[in-house]
Amino acid sequence: MERNTQKNGLGNLFLLFAAGVATLAVSRYSNTLAGQVVTAFLFLGALVALMSWFQARLEERERLEKLEFDELTKGSGSSTLFNTQEAEVFPAQRSREQFEKFFVPAFTVLVMVLEAAAFWWFWRWLDRQPEGAPLRQPLVALAILGIVAFVCFLIGRYSTGLARLGRLRLLSPGASLLLLGAYLLALAAIGIAGAEAGFPALDRIVARALCCLLALLALENLLTLVLEIYRPRLKGKAARLLYESRLVGLISHPEDIFTTAAHALDYQFGFKVSETWFYQFLQRALGWLLLAQVAILLLSTCLVFIETGEGALFERWGRPVNNGQVFGPGIHAKLPWPITKVYRYRTDQIQDFNIGFDEEDHDDDHGRAVLWTVSHVKNEFNLIVASRESADNTATNAAGGRKAPPVNLLSAAIPVQYQITNLTAWVYNNADSARLLRNLATREVVRHLVSADLNEIMSTGRFTAGEELRRLIQARADERQLGAQILFVGLADIHPPVAVGAAYEKVIGAAQKREAEVLKARAYAIQTNAMAGVEAFKLRQQAEARSIGKVLAAEATTSLFTNQIAAYHSSREVYLQRAYLQALARYGSDARKYILATTNTQDVLMLNMEEKISDALLRAPLPPAKKP
Amino acid sequence: MKRNPLTIAIGALLLVIFIALLFIFQVRQTEVAVVTTFGKATRPITQPGPYGKWPWPIQKVYKFDNRVNELESNLETVLTSDGYNLLIQVYVGWRINEPQSFFPRFAGSTNDAVKNLQGVVRNAYSGVVGKYPFSAFISTDPKALKFSEIEQEMLKRVQADAGANNYGIEIKFLGIKRLGLPESVTKLVFERMESERAVLVSTIEGEATTQSSAIRTRADTESAKLLAEAEAQATKTLGEGEKEAAKSFEIFKQEPELAIYLLKLKALEQFLQNRTTLILDDSTSPLELLKSQPSAGAQKK
Repeated sequence: MERNTQKNGLGNLFLLFAAGVATLAVSRYSNTLAGQVVTAFLFLGALVALMSWFQARLEERERLEKLEFDELTKGSGSSTLFNTQEAEVFPAQRSREQFEKFFVPAFTVLVMVLEAAAFWWFWRWLDRQPEGAPLRQPLVALAILGIVAFVCFLIGRYSTGLARLGRLRLLSPGASLLLLGAYLLALAAIGIAGAEAGFPALDRIVARALCCLLALLALENLLTLVLEIYRPRLKGKAARLLYESRLVGLISHPEDIFTTAAHALDYQFGFKVSETWFYQFLQRALGWLLLAQVAILLLSTCLVFIETGEGALFERWGRPVNNGQVFGPGIHAKLPWPITKVYRYRTDQIQDFNIGFDEEDHDDDHGRAVLWTVSHVKNEFNLIVASRESADNTATNAAGGRKAPPVNLLSAAIPVQYQITNLTAWVYNNADSARLLRNLATREVVRHLVSADLNEIMSTGRFTAGEELRRLIQARADERQLGAQILFVGLADIHPPVAVGAAYEKVIGAAQKREAEVLKARAYAIQTNAMAGVEAFKLRQQAEARSIGKVLAAEATTSLFTNQIAAYHSSREVYLQRAYLQALARYGSDARKYILATTNTQDVLMLNMEEKISDALLRAPLPPAKKP
Repeated sequence: MKRNPLTIAIGALLLVIFIALLFIFQVRQTEVAVVTTFGKATRPITQPGPYGKWPWPIQKVYKFDNRVNELESNLETVLTSDGYNLLIQVYVGWRINEPQSFFPRFAGSTNDAVKNLQGVVRNAYSGVVGKYPFSAFISTDPKALKFSEIEQEMLKRVQADAGANNYGIEIKFLGIKRLGLPESVTKLVFERMESERAVLVSTIEGEATTQSSAIRTRADTESAKLLAEAEAQATKTLGEGEKEAAKSFEIFKQEPELAIYLLKLKALEQFLQNRTTLILDDSTSPLELLKSQPSAGAQKK
């Protein structure tokens, strides 16, 4: 029997690998998305089958070792040769135990990581695949995938049957994965058929679903590894294969759903959960419960709740109900899906878009300063504005090709706010009304700017232009029967391009500098005038003081002179001499005096009137006085 | 063998759904459809509702959006009649008005239709732009500006081409979405705009110098004038003081000799107040005392 396990396991391994290669080749050639995702399952299956086959080999070695040991013990009795440690006696058993203890959990982790990585990679890969890409030779691909699925199904059924009947637990994982591969290949084939039957999205939907299955398998493995830690260990009860997925078993043997679930619960909790009344009830009634669930789900589609701010259009067999009546907020009854379908729209909400840059790359710039010299939106493009000054200069309008055309450039982020007022028109007249409105608004902005003067629109004409644009966009929207009302067009954020922003700021800087210079001059004028006023006042006051002083001094002199006359008249000679001598004594006392008391006047005396009088002068011998 | 009724119910339900999917299809209000039988278009459907069909591969249904779709050209450089390079991007509204004509021409693929239409639109705007000068696109002069006329001419051209080829498409509208300049020309425009700003800066700086100089000069003049007036008034005040003081000098007439003597004495006092060096001989009063000491005999006399 063990020989069968190895042989069949090896067969499953080769078949899974071959199926993987064939599926990869066919899917790549025909550009089938689901087929390429199925390849991941097949190669993962091959890996698991390889693991099972290797473990089966170890168990076979252990079995042979025990047989050999039994033979020897029968022949030798209780020889000391076999009383040594068990590990030395049963190396194959020891290696199998070590393998199960360390290698199997590690391998399970590896499978989990591979499944998660495959999910991640395929999911992102599907994002990059273009919508509605045509299939190449779809019928050939359909046929080949069908054949591979059929072969996998036959061998898978045979192997699972063999594993179940012969209780070959190591054959089961590979066989289940083979069967799963068969079902998934059939699904991929249905995806191709769907694309051919007019449902091109079916292939992608199947591929996405398979990616989700990969993620589920990874999660299941993770859960298994965690639960394995807390599982009660019962002596004599063999541990299950960690890398054998219960989910795969469930999908590949849907008829065994209750058996699989019961085994899982019994294994996990260590007692017969499957014999409880609740489990028995579920086993009996689950089918009806699921059917009732589906029925309730279908009935629930008969009631529709429209939220506040929403409007909805009902379509019965594709035709608008009540000639396109818009259903407002509240509860509404309808026929079940897919007979009547509901399409909801945000009618009350004010919606907006911006003109002047690519909104797809736009970051929220809330809180950042908006400067002319720093680009505040990504991919800002330049709008052409007419230039009155440049247009007057005919020299620039030559066809030289290298001269600047008579225009200016402008950067703008013009917000346009609108509201849907006629939902029927909004939905049924244009395939993408929001995009059309954006294009119409952009056209009107461009049209307005090409005839507007830059300086005018950035200064006095800003509000007028905003209102004019709103009116024009509304007119175009009405013309195209968009069913939208334009609420606001803002020209707040229009400015010169960043490249010339600094030049514009220099003008503002120069104006400020001019104001500063004028103010400085005014300050100088005020200061100078004030100083002059003070100086003038001082001059006047000093003159007045001097004038008064003169008058007062004159009066005092008069008074003094009156008294002096009296004294003078009393004794003319004496008074004069007294006055003279008093003046000399009072004021001449501090003066340096040289008295020449000599009569030889023929000599010339030279006096150095410097501050420091030389000693020679002071020591000069005086001539003797002449005797009379 | 007794069958489980649940299994039968589920099986029947799945069968009904499967048959419905195979034999019934819906056409929405926003759609038109073409049914093909063994690859041949046999039935165009323009009205919404449920319709029956034979299952694939006998019959196949192709659905198309019958609303106005939009097509946007790329931003492309074109040449005006006066030799300017201009970047232009247009948008075009179109809808399928004859699905039976549309389907065979584009093999049921809207993408193919858009590709073909792109070529027609590109041809139209390239040709029309070349007929007009630059000022027809951008000008402050309403007479020179031909923006709407150019759009109408492009639309007529696209409508004519699409109609001639019987695409099964109706061209509803066309508009210029963007106008731009090539990068090299943009740089030139930026340079010119910077030069304009530089001129403005120089003008303002000149104004600043003129205005501030005028204010300073005016202030200096006013200041000088004020001081001159003050000095004049001071001189006048001093004169008046002199005049007033002179009135007091009448008394000097009584003893002019004494007055002059006192004035001299006053002047002498002023001389002597600073550090003065006096060189006096013995004849100066009272130094004569130095040489003519009164003798005892004289005293007796």
